[in-house]
Amino acid sequence: MEAKHDVLVIGAGCAGMRAAIEAHDAGADVALVSKIHPTRSHSGAAEGGINAALGNASEDSPEEHAFDTVKGSDYLGDQDAIEILCDEAPDDVYQLEHWGAVFSRTEEGRIAQRPFGAAGEPRTAYAADITGHVLVHVLYEQVLKRDLTVYEEFFVWKLVEHEGRCQGVIAWNLLDGGLITIGAKTVILATGGAGRLYTGTTNAYACTGDGMAQALELGIALKDMEMMQFHPTTLAPTGVLITEGCRGEGAYLLNSEGERFLKRYAPNAMELASRDVISRAEQVEIDEGRGVDGNVLLDMRHLGAEKILERLHGTRELSMVFAGVDPIHEPIPVRPGAHYHMGGVDTDTWGRTTLEGLYAAGECACVSVHGANRLGGNALMETITYGKRAGAHAAEWALTNTTVEVPESAATDAERELGELLDRREGERPWSIRNELAETMHENFGVFRREDQMRRQGEIVDELRDRYESVVVEDKGRVFNNDLTQALELGFLLDLASCMVVAGIERKESRGAHARPYDFPDRDDENYLRHTIVRWVEGAPKVEWKPVKMTKWQPMERKY
Amino acid sequence: MRRASARFALVDVALKIWRYDPESGERELREYEVDAPEWACLLDVLDLIKDKHDGSLAYRKSCRMMICGSCGMRMDGRAVLACKERMKPIADAGHVPVISAMGNLPVLKDLVVDMAPFWNKIRAVKPWLDPGYDEVAEKERIVSQQQVNVINKESLCIMCGCCVSECNSMESDPEFLGPAALAKGFRFVGDVRDHGEVARLNELNQDHGIWDCTRCYFCNERCPKGVDPRDAIAKLGAESIKLNIDHDMGAKHAKWFVKSAETTGWLRETELVPKTQGIVSSLKEIGFALNLAKRGKVPPPFPPHVAKDVKEARALHDLVRTQGREGAAGIVQGEHALAQIEHVLEADERGGEHGGD
Repeated sequence: MEAKHDVLVIGAGCAGMRAAIEAHDAGADVALVSKIHPTRSHSGAAEGGINAALGNASEDSPEEHAFDTVKGSDYLGDQDAIEILCDEAPDDVYQLEHWGAVFSRTEEGRIAQRPFGAAGEPRTAYAADITGHVLVHVLYEQVLKRDLTVYEEFFVWKLVEHEGRCQGVIAWNLLDGGLITIGAKTVILATGGAGRLYTGTTNAYACTGDGMAQALELGIALKDMEMMQFHPTTLAPTGVLITEGCRGEGAYLLNSEGERFLKRYAPNAMELASRDVISRAEQVEIDEGRGVDGNVLLDMRHLGAEKILERLHGTRELSMVFAGVDPIHEPIPVRPGAHYHMGGVDTDTWGRTTLEGLYAAGECACVSVHGANRLGGNALMETITYGKRAGAHAAEWALTNTTVEVPESAATDAERELGELLDRREGERPWSIRNELAETMHENFGVFRREDQMRRQGEIVDELRDRYESVVVEDKGRVFNNDLTQALELGFLLDLASCMVVAGIERKESRGAHARPYDFPDRDDENYLRHTIVRWVEGAPKVEWKPVKMTKWQPMERKY
Repeated sequence: MRRASARFALVDVALKIWRYDPESGERELREYEVDAPEWACLLDVLDLIKDKHDGSLAYRKSCRMMICGSCGMRMDGRAVLACKERMKPIADAGHVPVISAMGNLPVLKDLVVDMAPFWNKIRAVKPWLDPGYDEVAEKERIVSQQQVNVINKESLCIMCGCCVSECNSMESDPEFLGPAALAKGFRFVGDVRDHGEVARLNELNQDHGIWDCTRCYFCNERCPKGVDPRDAIAKLGAESIKLNIDHDMGAKHAKWFVKSAETTGWLRETELVPKTQGIVSSLKEIGFALNLAKRGKVPPPFPPHVAKDVKEARALHDLVRTQGREGAAGIVQGEHALAQIEHVLEADERGGEHGGD
């Protein structure tokens, strides 16, 4: 064991850094480990904002926020977790402001809030259209202020379980090469999503679901893995995110006939319906021939140059660079793209997993506040509130327990396994497997899902897994060998794809992001108002079920 | 989702990459050629090379949407974000660009530099808000949008290192704090919520601080996000002088320019050296000064040469004071800032309306 800490946080985006700060302030010795520098984390790409019932733009309450979230989740969200989120959100946002977050302001000088999809009030606090960037940087500033240890560019490969507890990790040092073992009384996974399972995704290259897959390997339960959100406005061809804030500020979605087609799908909320509803509407328009080269159009010309420059400056920049379109003068071509994994490591409301000492927070966790469909602006809020809660609990546990023990064999086994991979000279390189996985997931496990396609995808993933067994890493060097880490990431993605597909086949209904219009077009509360739970048992994913926690809200028909 | 696998027209893209293998110490310019989709940016092309030609090619990447700041590198000797540079126009022009690691930072492997010196300088400016209290108030602090706008550009910084790569001062003085750290410094000095302004400015006025910038403007020009670090440095200088933090020769030098122009409408060069360096140190330069005077390179110090329209110069200084544009508020520099003057003036006229609604 090369180092030892009370609390070790894996991943240094919003959830990870917030957790680390909380654990440190509670008196624990904390370290962060991240495969990329903290400010490079994908939380920084969040654009539109963070939801809290501050009431700065209208009368609002945590209860209204909670109801919108429950309804948005298509009733699959755990209501106790949602209530905690919405109750604690306002103070957590004020805390960020006091740390220095550069929010946009109202005329009264309060934190500005804009309307967002499926929210009853303008509740999304924002910093122009770079809210995630602002939060990542303010959290990193606080990490520096506290002088926390950060293992920068260390790729966590395995979690170490010993005597029924998670007691550390094994990580590859990207800059210098070599494996190290870091022991810890508690480990918090904050590794983000797995959008790289899809070709068209808003997600960064780093979003490969590492933490979820590592937990899975230890037999820990993943929850609601079939629930992958498709964001309605991503830029062709690669899926760069165009914020929901555009529609919050009043942008229209048009088909090739210039029609605001949402009037046929969500006549009341129109462009501010929930993301699952809009993505499906767009896909139908495109499939039925009313798209424009596989896209629909996001029109914000009527907002005027000043508003676009002041509040959607980043969006304009992205549109101009990646689509060659200036939204002041032309509509932006957009389409649904993989964006956010509602599913993740099953946790309680303190971020605890089923393994003692192991916590999870943020996108890699499923507590579940998003259920079958996340509302825009709730992800950043979840990272902060549940990052804080996981940090607090992990610190408390660590400070009342003293020992950390990692058996020698953990490191030697890992060394041997890595050696086998690096010594392999003959075989396939990872990129073709990676590309095939992402293309087929997009094709067969996208906005709409068919039984036969999902089954076919299961077979494809199995074939790819077989091919992955003999994958070859071409770079044999030690310094910055990301040929190696990318190969390991592909292994994680393959495991998660298997879990998603089996959970998707088992959920024989349409709910939120899981839409089966061909065989099960309706929501089925009688049989499926429950979470899928996937565990890795004897080399394959096994699906079980877990009840949804209800507090005040009974399922109702969901219309926007 | 059938569209995702749609095929795109391909472009034949050629690149030359400066490879560096730290284990053998070999450095070599290698040429590659790939068929890339027509929308490909430099980063996509590097990915294709890594996939299909050489898995050992090293570079950083993550968001591929100009926000994470990972993929700073040089193309034809100028710092760029690889995810921002479209390759089709370059390939169509038949150009084969040379890709290399950023400057002013040690190269670890191929296009990967050691960012530790960069982050150490960021750390040196104490980059966190000094709120002036321990207990958090019940709600947020009241700050107008106009006050937020003062640090808008500096808050855009993604810490990619492109400005540092291009910094001429840092090339001659590796200890120079540099454009990124100084822009970060202004992000706090310009924040009305920060209580550390004087302490921060005192720090930033030390050796290797703001006055060591040579004002080459490369940082403004190469910043991929429009942060304009040189403008931030100018604002820090102006704030320092406003608060009489002028112990550095650079500050004294700048101050004399202002004083001299205000009083006589001209720069009184003969007084510039003693005002900047102090009397004792400038006595050593007397021989040099006399030589200059002999050859008519400097005007005689007495009587002071007063410009014909000196009233105009004085009126300008008064205007700056009455408008409260001393310090950072008076700094309008660089192309991006100049383009925004009209916008700012309009907003001022509407008085406060600029705030969010």
